[in-house]
Amino acid sequence: MKILLIEDDDQTASYVGAALRKDGHWVERASGGAQGLSFAGSGVHDLLIVDRMLPELDGLQVVKELRARGSKLPILFLTTMSGIHDRVNGLEGGADDYLTKPFALAELLARVNALGRRLERSGAEVQTVLRAGPLEVDLLTQTVRRQGQPIDLQPQEFRLLEYLMRHAGQVVTRAMLLENIWQLHFDPGTNIVESHMSRLRAKLNRGFETPLIQTVRGAGYVLRLD
Amino acid sequence: MSFAWTRLVGSESFRLTAIFTAAICVAMLVLMALVYAITHEALQNELFSAIDRDIAAIKSGYRSQGISEAREVVNQHLYHGASSDFLLLETSWGKKLAGNLPPMTPRLGKVFMELPPQASAGSHQSRHILGEGLMLAPGLYLFDGRDLDLVHDAEEDELAAFLWVLLVSLGLATAGGLVLSHLFLARMDDITETCRAIMEGRYADRVPERGAGDELGRLVGTINAMLDRISGLMENVEQISSDIAHDMRAPLTHLQHHLENALSEARNEEAYRGAIEQALGETERLLAIFHALLKIGQLEEAIDVRTLPRLNLSHLLEEMADIYRPVTEDSGHILAVRVTPELWVHGDRTLLAQLIANLIENARAHTPSGTHITLHAEAASSEVVMMVCDDGPGIPQAERERVFRRFYRLERSRTTPGTGLGLPLVAAIVRYHGGSIELDDQAPGLMVRVRLARA
Repeated sequence: MKILLIEDDDQTASYVGAALRKDGHWVERASGGAQGLSFAGSGVHDLLIVDRMLPELDGLQVVKELRARGSKLPILFLTTMSGIHDRVNGLEGGADDYLTKPFALAELLARVNALGRRLERSGAEVQTVLRAGPLEVDLLTQTVRRQGQPIDLQPQEFRLLEYLMRHAGQVVTRAMLLENIWQLHFDPGTNIVESHMSRLRAKLNRGFETPLIQTVRGAGYVLRLD
Repeated sequence: MSFAWTRLVGSESFRLTAIFTAAICVAMLVLMALVYAITHEALQNELFSAIDRDIAAIKSGYRSQGISEAREVVNQHLYHGASSDFLLLETSWGKKLAGNLPPMTPRLGKVFMELPPQASAGSHQSRHILGEGLMLAPGLYLFDGRDLDLVHDAEEDELAAFLWVLLVSLGLATAGGLVLSHLFLARMDDITETCRAIMEGRYADRVPERGAGDELGRLVGTINAMLDRISGLMENVEQISSDIAHDMRAPLTHLQHHLENALSEARNEEAYRGAIEQALGETERLLAIFHALLKIGQLEEAIDVRTLPRLNLSHLLEEMADIYRPVTEDSGHILAVRVTPELWVHGDRTLLAQLIANLIENARAHTPSGTHITLHAEAASSEVVMMVCDDGPGIPQAERERVFRRFYRLERSRTTPGTGLGLPLVAAIVRYHGGSIELDDQAPGLMVRVRLARA
């Protein structure tokens, strides 16, 4: 993906830029809000990462301005720890996702890839049946089948699987699951994700050899496509 | 001294006193002028009525027995009368017939004259005479007058009395004003002194309280109460800062040890990787502590809870129970929900979710396997009462207040994981929502009761 990174702090920019490049992305960096806006105007980028605190034109204004110009570019917003309303303001301003500093690189990469996938899918009609490898999830009847065999899931397990299916083949982090499935925008400090995940895994694997959900050490989970 | 004087003169209360005194003086001057005019008029009237009586007597004497009787009446009058009476009976060609005035050109009607000193007997000053001149008969002129200096003297006495009264009241008003200003300024000085002392770091200083009943007394009381609150907050901040420093030291020391160990002991990539992962775990924990502290700090601001969106608390409690059920089951706890449906409050969903999460997590972390954890919620008049109960070991009465303090941990919880910030964050969220929180004995177990305003 071609990523535009608007970040004034050199250290963060090189650290994030290096990680994104290593993950196979092409990265252009702007060090201020005004420069970022003019770079974004070229229309070559697939994704935008915007820091909240920028000199002169701040990140929120950059996002609002881009949306006002009709840009559909996926935007990941970086906020600092401070400000309980930062997240809401960022999303209301037009960002697609947000990440609170300091963040782990694995978290950033997972979110960048998830946003990129959203771009590929955009325009496709609403899906009522999700398929990934041997799994089939019917969103209307709320039924799950593995190689045709029905699997009985609890509502929370179903929501977890649905999210994994929508991001099949991608790493999803604990924080992404907490935020997107349960709207928990804080670190609960306990293994609530792991508990749900182990129940889901147990049900999906009953009677089968190969596990479908893989744990990625230090990052999160991935639903295998093969 | 001169400084105090210029301060006094420059003070607002002194200016007010001066304006007040001036107003009183003007009022008194107007009153005095009026009194003076009235007495002046009365004195003149009295003078002329005495003159009229004299003239009437002389006239009747002349009418009955002619000029000789008129002369007799005049002489008698001068003999018996006061020395301030001046009479002249003369012919129109200037021949004096009787009286104590030198002959003069006849002037009719009200006459004012100044008598040179030598012309008036027994006086070295010129005398002012006011009287009436008339023709008693053709060729016969009569003047009857009184010494005006007596009237003038009376009026001068009156003016002198007025002046004294004016001076005394001016003096009293000024002195009173100065005393009042001084008393007022002294109390203002108390306040200034105390503020300065506090700016210099003597935080225990308070404004001396005197005359508690009046406005200034109330102001002093309010200032002192405010100072108490501020010093309470400052002590709290100092306590927190030292707690933070203390609590940060342990994980930082661990981190240091792990890294030092890795540097000296690790021989292969696997070992280094393990050490780095351990170190990352420590930094994550440190960041979590900072995050919680910052969040608590942000929640200190006071907001109007009605500006927050309406939220279905019953729904949120059910959701949180669904989210936490697997993890509570994994630790052998039994989670139950008994919630009245459709309980609405004004609130921030993320914060209230965290509040419920922390309370469930608290109950789970500090009770043994097999403990029942129940989420209750019901309406009570204008409030929603939410309770998280367990039948575990509970918290001793003496420690219930302290668990809301940052980093406070019960003795038996020292070994269980936790930052010591869970309950303080819960308390901060409740405060932010304008609610209240209390801990109660479930006998056995702990009940955390949160009250929020119903929306």
